[in-house]
Amino acid sequence: MNRLLAFIVAAGLVFGAGCNKSTDSSSSAGSPGGKKLSIALMPKSKGNAYFISCKAGADEAAKELGVELLFDGPTDPDPAKQNEIVDNWIALGVDAIAVACENKEGISTALRKARQKGIKVLTYDSDATPDAREFFVNQATPEGIGYTLMDEAARLTGEEGDFAVITASLTAANMNEWRKYIEARLAEKYPKMKLVTVRPCDDLKDKAQSETTALLSAYPNVKLVMAICSPAVPGAAEAVKQAGKAGTVKVIGLGLPSENRRYVKDGVTQSVILWKTVDLGYLTVQATTALAKGELKPGATEFKAGRLGAMEIKGDNILLGKPFIFNKENIDQFDF
Amino acid sequence: MLKRHFREWSVAFALVLLLAILAVAAPAFYQGQPLLSLMAREAPTLVVACGMALVIIGRQIDISVGSQFAICSVCAGLLAAMKWPLALALPAAIAVGAVMGTVNGALVAGLRLPSIVVTLATMVTWREGLRWLRQGEFVNLPDNAQWFGFGQAAGQWTLIFAAVVLFILMVMGMRHLSAGRFVHAVGSDAEAARLAGIRPQFVTFATFVLIGALTGLAAGMNVVQSPQVDPKSGTGLELKTIAAVVVGGVAISGGRGSLWGVFAGLLLLACVSPALTHLHVQAYWEKAIQGAIILLAVVADGLRSKTIKHN
Repeated sequence: MNRLLAFIVAAGLVFGAGCNKSTDSSSSAGSPGGKKLSIALMPKSKGNAYFISCKAGADEAAKELGVELLFDGPTDPDPAKQNEIVDNWIALGVDAIAVACENKEGISTALRKARQKGIKVLTYDSDATPDAREFFVNQATPEGIGYTLMDEAARLTGEEGDFAVITASLTAANMNEWRKYIEARLAEKYPKMKLVTVRPCDDLKDKAQSETTALLSAYPNVKLVMAICSPAVPGAAEAVKQAGKAGTVKVIGLGLPSENRRYVKDGVTQSVILWKTVDLGYLTVQATTALAKGELKPGATEFKAGRLGAMEIKGDNILLGKPFIFNKENIDQFDF
Repeated sequence: MLKRHFREWSVAFALVLLLAILAVAAPAFYQGQPLLSLMAREAPTLVVACGMALVIIGRQIDISVGSQFAICSVCAGLLAAMKWPLALALPAAIAVGAVMGTVNGALVAGLRLPSIVVTLATMVTWREGLRWLRQGEFVNLPDNAQWFGFGQAAGQWTLIFAAVVLFILMVMGMRHLSAGRFVHAVGSDAEAARLAGIRPQFVTFATFVLIGALTGLAAGMNVVQSPQVDPKSGTGLELKTIAAVVVGGVAISGGRGSLWGVFAGLLLLACVSPALTHLHVQAYWEKAIQGAIILLAVVADGLRSKTIKHN
């Protein structure tokens, strides 16, 4: 059945090539049919700076590969609107779709429908249900995040001294996963460092500030505060600044450059860790194109993604690799 | 005196006990800057708690304060970011809060709907509306907005001073103004108040407008404490303020309570979290201990009203 479907789709692609897609004669790197592949990319919302920088990478990859890139999404994060756009793309007959899903269940039905029509489906940034897509471009694994945070903390403190962690809540599954890897790395590589306390901030900047203020006076030997939820990074930085300890107590964390720029420039926060959104967009379009061309198949363990080189595939997750560290030197190049 | 204000004194005693334990077990708690920061951070909460005390004494409740706080914070932040001077942005936040209070008040007093349902609805509406508008994005303030452009310590003292002055004015108002006595009267027995010539619905309406305006003021007092506004700010503020009011000895059934008790209750609850950090207690216990304090207060009230009935 699947094979039949694939045949029909392939035939449809070949025969339909001339009529419903823009044909750009300058493209030679397109699909075997000689026509330009059309790849549709959807952000959670169009105006979001995070996704705008994803798009910059996506455009770069599309240009390199000579594919036509459609970029559309809701103006505000809206699962219903995402479905509508997927339906439009199905009607338009695009070759492949890549979506950052606002709502896992919400979009999966529409994506399954697209797959039934033979459109290749991939997710990036945030996943759909696994049966609704072929691959998920995973921007960061818990291991990558945990290890990078711990290594950066060690680098900034000269691999010794006390540090504290601010988390969103002691029960948040993803953060506990990160903490597991932070602590594993700590035990394995940095015997002279000590995690003295873990404080929850309920994912609120103000609470993170209060918690940091208290812990700085309660644990005077703390040399670094590691904030592992995004509102906690500026919250912790403000507390360190108000305590007059900017520079002597380092602040690092997982967050957006835009929310931390001020503190990074003032030397309060040393490092903000995230992934390169441009690379995420680039990899997504590379993978989506390869999928549409049939070069990337389920079961693959590696994928060559243009300038990024060989990317690891774990199961059906294409890994973007190690997170990126934003600091004083480079933070101005990023505006999300 | 001691007997009449037994609840207030017992909270004050608990607070003194906690502070004494800290003095012995964790003297590092008593450092200038962290304490000053703690008080400045709690100053806005005190302002909202005063409003909450009035609403609860008047036999109503407002659980939408956290969402109002967030909206007012973002409004003040956006206006400041548009280069409005704080002297205009802060009153604007107060006005926005008063408008939201008016909505609550009109629905509760005008349509005689239960306040818990009305404010539950507005809490969700305001919060989700803001999420939809801002998508969680921080508001970055201009450089000179923090601490009103004063230095840090001066700014913090200004905020604490403002909250304390407001508190004292409200204590005096509750005692000496007829409006204060009206709130108590309506909370004790709305029908009796009506027969005495008070318009209970108007009093209820006014308390909601007041808590809205106070929440707007508190939001402004919070915005100036950092260079950016978290649109999630104020989450959980309703719990914090209701807890302070209940722990402070205000009867949740209305009619009884004093602002002094609320003041002590707020200080007690505000000190718990940093105290636990200083005593190196695992964070898991923090909320359990705060909950236990509230439970203790409620049980004490329950036992008390039982003995009063028996007598």
